[in-house]
Amino acid sequence: MLKKLLYTTLIALTLSSCNDTLDDINANPNATETPLAPYLLTGTLKQGADLYWGDGNNFNSSLLFVQHWAKIQYTEPDRYDVSNTSFTSLWNTGYATLITDLNTIIKFPDAQANSNYKGIALTLRSWTFLLLTDAYGSIPYKEAGLKVTPAYNTQKEVYTGLLDDLKQAQSLLNTANGAVTGDLVYKGEISKWKKLVNSLRLRIALRISDREPALAKQAAIDATSDAGGLISSNADTFKFTYISSPQQNPASAWFETRDDFRISKTLVDKLYELSDPRLPVYAQLPSDASVGKYVGGANGLSNSDANSQGFAKTSKPGTYFLTSASPAVIASYSETLFNLAEAVARGYISGDAEQYYKNAITASFNQFGITDATAISNYLNQATVKYDATNYAKSIGTQKWIAFYGQGLDAFTEWRRLDYPVLKAGPATVLDGKIPSRFFYPGTEQSLNGDSYQAAVAGQGKDLLTTKLWFDVK
Amino acid sequence: MKKKLNRYILLCIFLISIGVNAQETKPLIQSKLEGTVVDAVTKEPVIGASINIKGTTHGVVTDFDGKFYFQTGQKFPYTLIVSYLGYKKTEVVVNKNAVVIDLTQEQNALSEVVVTALGITKEKKSLGYTTQALKGKELASTKETNFLNSLTGKLAGVRITNSQGDMGSSRIIIRGETSIAGNNQPLFVVDGVPVDNSQLNAGGATRDFRNAIADLNPQDIETLTVLKGPNAAALYGSRAAHGVVLITTKSGKGQNGLGITFNSGITVSQVTTLPDFQNSYGQGSNGKFSFVDGKGGGVNDGVDESWGPRLDGRLIPQFYSNGQAVPFVAHPNNVKDFFNTGLTYDNSISVAKSDEKSDFRVGVNNQKQLGTVPNSEINKTNFTINTNYQISKSIKVGVTGNYIVTDAPQLPGGPSGGRAAGVMLQFLWFGRQVDINELDKDWTRNWNNSYYSNPYWNAYYNTTSQQRNRLIGDIHLEAKLFDGLDFKFRTGVDYYNDRRKYTIKYGTNGTPFGSYAEDAYTVNEQNTEGLFHYNKNLSEDFTLDALAGFNIRNHSDANNYQKAPRLAVPDLYTLTNSRDPLTSSNTLSRLRVYSAYASAQLGFRNYAFLNLTARNDWSSTLPSSNRSYFYPSINGSLVLTDALNIKSNTLDFLKLRGGWSEVGNDADPYQLSTVYNFQTAFDGNPIQTSSQKKLNQDLKPETTRSTEVGIESSFWKNRLHFDVAYYNTNSFDQILEIKTTASSGYNSQLINAGKINNQGIEVQLDGNPIQLENFKWNVGVNYSKNTSKVEILDYDKKIQNYTIGSSGGVDVLASVGQAYGALYGTAYERDANGNIVVGANGLPKADPTKKVLGHYTPDYLAGVTNTFTYKNLELSVLVDASVGGELFSGTNRTGNYTGVLAQTLPGRGAENGGLSYYYPGNNTSNPKTLVTGGAAPGGVAVYDDGMIFGGVFADGTPNNKVISAQEYYKASYNISEAYIYSSTYVKLREVRLTYNVDKKLAKKLGLQGASITAAGRNLLFIYKDVPNIDPETAFNTGNAQGLESLALPTTRNFSLNVNLKF
Repeated sequence: MLKKLLYTTLIALTLSSCNDTLDDINANPNATETPLAPYLLTGTLKQGADLYWGDGNNFNSSLLFVQHWAKIQYTEPDRYDVSNTSFTSLWNTGYATLITDLNTIIKFPDAQANSNYKGIALTLRSWTFLLLTDAYGSIPYKEAGLKVTPAYNTQKEVYTGLLDDLKQAQSLLNTANGAVTGDLVYKGEISKWKKLVNSLRLRIALRISDREPALAKQAAIDATSDAGGLISSNADTFKFTYISSPQQNPASAWFETRDDFRISKTLVDKLYELSDPRLPVYAQLPSDASVGKYVGGANGLSNSDANSQGFAKTSKPGTYFLTSASPAVIASYSETLFNLAEAVARGYISGDAEQYYKNAITASFNQFGITDATAISNYLNQATVKYDATNYAKSIGTQKWIAFYGQGLDAFTEWRRLDYPVLKAGPATVLDGKIPSRFFYPGTEQSLNGDSYQAAVAGQGKDLLTTKLWFDVK
Repeated sequence: MKKKLNRYILLCIFLISIGVNAQETKPLIQSKLEGTVVDAVTKEPVIGASINIKGTTHGVVTDFDGKFYFQTGQKFPYTLIVSYLGYKKTEVVVNKNAVVIDLTQEQNALSEVVVTALGITKEKKSLGYTTQALKGKELASTKETNFLNSLTGKLAGVRITNSQGDMGSSRIIIRGETSIAGNNQPLFVVDGVPVDNSQLNAGGATRDFRNAIADLNPQDIETLTVLKGPNAAALYGSRAAHGVVLITTKSGKGQNGLGITFNSGITVSQVTTLPDFQNSYGQGSNGKFSFVDGKGGGVNDGVDESWGPRLDGRLIPQFYSNGQAVPFVAHPNNVKDFFNTGLTYDNSISVAKSDEKSDFRVGVNNQKQLGTVPNSEINKTNFTINTNYQISKSIKVGVTGNYIVTDAPQLPGGPSGGRAAGVMLQFLWFGRQVDINELDKDWTRNWNNSYYSNPYWNAYYNTTSQQRNRLIGDIHLEAKLFDGLDFKFRTGVDYYNDRRKYTIKYGTNGTPFGSYAEDAYTVNEQNTEGLFHYNKNLSEDFTLDALAGFNIRNHSDANNYQKAPRLAVPDLYTLTNSRDPLTSSNTLSRLRVYSAYASAQLGFRNYAFLNLTARNDWSSTLPSSNRSYFYPSINGSLVLTDALNIKSNTLDFLKLRGGWSEVGNDADPYQLSTVYNFQTAFDGNPIQTSSQKKLNQDLKPETTRSTEVGIESSFWKNRLHFDVAYYNTNSFDQILEIKTTASSGYNSQLINAGKINNQGIEVQLDGNPIQLENFKWNVGVNYSKNTSKVEILDYDKKIQNYTIGSSGGVDVLASVGQAYGALYGTAYERDANGNIVVGANGLPKADPTKKVLGHYTPDYLAGVTNTFTYKNLELSVLVDASVGGELFSGTNRTGNYTGVLAQTLPGRGAENGGLSYYYPGNNTSNPKTLVTGGAAPGGVAVYDDGMIFGGVFADGTPNNKVISAQEYYKASYNISEAYIYSSTYVKLREVRLTYNVDKKLAKKLGLQGASITAAGRNLLFIYKDVPNIDPETAFNTGNAQGLESLALPTTRNFSLNVNLKF
């Protein structure tokens, strides 16, 4: 009897375990295999803004290099005492999150994403590649996302490739091509995306202007003559607006728990020198009321020297930048106007360079809420501000530098290209008096993509902060 | 797939029907004989002895009373051959009268019986591989709260990395890391039930949660047997590649009448290996400090480094003095005094009984551990039952159960605890003048408000609790189908809930609103197995021991996590008390494996043995085309002393053995299809993003092949016993989630190609130099050396490195051509002559090319145990060593940077050899200038903390640029090479003194037995290379070892244990 019971139980157990097939058991209950275009788009916009505006690439690196901000504590990055683990987020998030998700949209069958999604994805992908090459130099571009160990392309190859990509993006974008949702920036207004595309083309045209003037000129003409137009008002500015915690502005989140940044003395002094009305927007008065004026922190000091400037006696960046809903500006109207001024100055397109220059400054004032016409004209009429046609790089470089406040990566790139304003490395910096000219490649490239890395470094120069990139002639 | 399953079911039914058919055979009845087999000395019945009629194949086995019965066609008188493992084989001539047969125990290596795979006991001499066992008392009497720690140094080829602190995890590796990426921990099997040893959320948490096997109570362990590697463990299949630890718990068997055992122990723990701090300079920077608000309001009072003024009693306002200038003096023990003396109370009672039909043991154990970090505490209670009942002559059923309740209200803050909870993080930045007693007086007081909260605040308010309820148990049945054929059936479970709660108090520095999170796990491991076991003397010369069985394994684990990132009001720890939307996640993971297996041992004249095993698995985690995988093993042994009939006074025993085995392994669940994850929606817009991990639809099973040979011998009547083993293991087609450059589109990709080779030798020596009636001296030595080599990672050979883990800029790599666990990081830039190159500023430069700086895997391990027995007194002393291997020390790196360590004293001030320098014109922007040959220019301030970094300028001329000591000790912070140390150590690991109360005396006291043990663990370092830390500190059980990162100090433990048996 017992034996029978045993055998029955045994057989029953053996059979009952077949109810779920082994395939069913291995169906992943935790994530989906099906991506959706609007959700990916929302994700890339948010993560792209975090990347551009967050600490790793912005206020703990490039924003210090261009002396917009300074560190008052733990000054290693401000002294350029950093390593090849310091600049990994731009690379890793740029490629594995942004470019990969955007490629997913681009590769969708038409039923899953109309051509507007693809045009937007191609635009954002171009912007991401642009950030990458501006910061590192040669980067994987043509083989990116296609090989396990992709080869690097030179900056020339990347920039010219991006001009083609953006041309294609422009052709994909059309209001008649269907609606787009999940677009947190332009709310599905395709005409604004078309303007952004042309503004980015103009930006790239100037990037290569010192190396490939003919190509640059053609690109500038293409960008400015396209029917879609350029960014033409502050309402067209490409910016990502944050909400409340935990999705607050990354600089705001940082200041909630830490207090190691100040506005740079270099910038404060410059703004005082120019009587610039943007100063109260860019900076807060020191918390010690007895100081009574804006005081920047000096860049490149030792920890103790930085510290002894006094936490209470120096100015934090303005609250405009530090509230939870502060925007991350990525491509502004003012920048487009500066680019037009320079394109005219270089003779690429026709127009009035000085007027574009003045409009650019005005657009910047407006962007930061300064609309008083008298104040603006007083500012523009100062000799120190007036457009100098004999040295357009100085005028445009200096004013662009001020207008780019907070946009560390682009301020860093344009400062390297235009070589104005003249910045001086701080006393405790470790690059023998130089300011960085690029980011280190992530140290992991050496272990994960060693051959490609070595080939790139052989062509570009040592993987050092001071190695000049192709676009940066002087 | 269906087809294969059906075939598998058919196989099971077929096996069952063999059993049923076989049951029909019965011998012809002519003569009857009754008898009993007893131990010659104790006169206890011997259960399960086999009795064969010489010259026939007819045999029976004794029952629970040692009784047997023959009905046979054989005429009286005939000869019985009586054998039982561990006893001398005896022949007895019988006639029709009932007989009592005495069996004598064998006392040498020839007869040693060991537990092998699936819990089957075999004579050790018949095995073609090594196993090694420890008795429960060796584990229980030392009172380690993570019993794995007490294995250290006692088993050849077993590497234990002890817990950091006193409440952490312990890592066990047998014969090296055979899996490049996966879990390398062995499989634990308790009374036949596979038991989970995960360390859930090991890396992601702020605490070092004890690995799950530490739940077991060593008091309940009868024996622990280690099956080293696939040769011994092939029958366990997939999970055997890393070895198996078989644990047999105590049962009521052999207990005469009722036995009650009380055990009570207490352990005192002290922190050791605290960093060696300097006491000459206090908090601050460039020699200046004055406290106002602790966040930059005063002079350098936001700085949490000790580059401040001399600790010479000068008057400076400090954090507790309300602006009053008070003496600035060293508090040399300000870190040590924070730690408490740890206390562990361990009490247990068990009741055991056995009679002819049944046996049982029930026990309860309570352990309360108060840790060395204030407020840390773990309480654990184990309830165990182990019972068997003989329902009929041929059927026995039983149940084992172990119910474990762990309740830890607060675990000590480990390295990743961050500023809110990390203990040593704060102490490596702790101002040397800080008076810890002033902090203890008022926990809202704080020495630094830029980065930290009061350490007591952290310890008492920022807590992580853990509650685990766990049931391990089985029901089992054994049926004697006919003589020689048994059937065993078992279904076992290991099920637990593990809930963790994280609180950060409102007002904590860095987390001003506090936070609250709950993290809950449910783990369920079920195994059902059936096994036919056939034992037969085929002829006078040949014996057969065969088995065939099946196993169904179901495993699932689930996790739910929710966090309120900022609390709405203080001190209310609920998920609804939140300013923000909750962040949450949940996962569920399931897998199932069907297995069928068989093995056979063929013995010849009891001196030559051939063992064969085979197993086939069907795993849910592999694609259906690759789901089924088969693997065999073969091994053999030859006892030369018997085969050649060597009779010698010197050589007692000589055995050669060897074998080859293969085991397959499946993947983790859900590794086939690439997926997209959802992130917290933004303002009503869902966010989806790539998982950044490219999976693989064509996964194949991993395979490990191992060859092992060995010699075992004993000399001079067992005065010296010697065992040496050599093994060579190749693991290939390894499933690796390989880190790839992000520019490939993914941060990692799943590949199926990795190959790693491990080879090594193990030596065990056991000697009895002195063996007198009252005094014995036993020496046990074990030595093991393992060499690994990563052969390939992918078949295209594009990938050279697999990143196992990273910390502080150093990667741990499996690098092609290198030993496993290469430490890869930044090195000094050097010229052609190997000199360090400094920049114009006199500071060293980092080479832009990263380098392999060492390997964490040691060259060899050794342990020596000396045991002295005098009458009833036993003293054992264990020294163990781990030689070779390197580690990267975060403690030294941070402590140099912050200037708290004594090793930062040279050069700090003229008394420490510092050079004198000045700034021309007293302008600190001017370069520092050495005072040479007399005095500095009049009126300038002279500093006496100048140093020159040993190196050359780019042009090859020696560096002569003076820098301050502060610059000097910070200069190498980003150069990993500077903080690589040898991890070699020799430790006096354990001293244990046991007094066994004399049996006669015990009887007088009404006891069956009693013993008292005093033990000390981790007593001292006989040698170590790395300063300021214990080189042996695991923060988790994973493979990314060799990265020390502000680990908690290890503890020295003293315990006293009393065991009384009524």
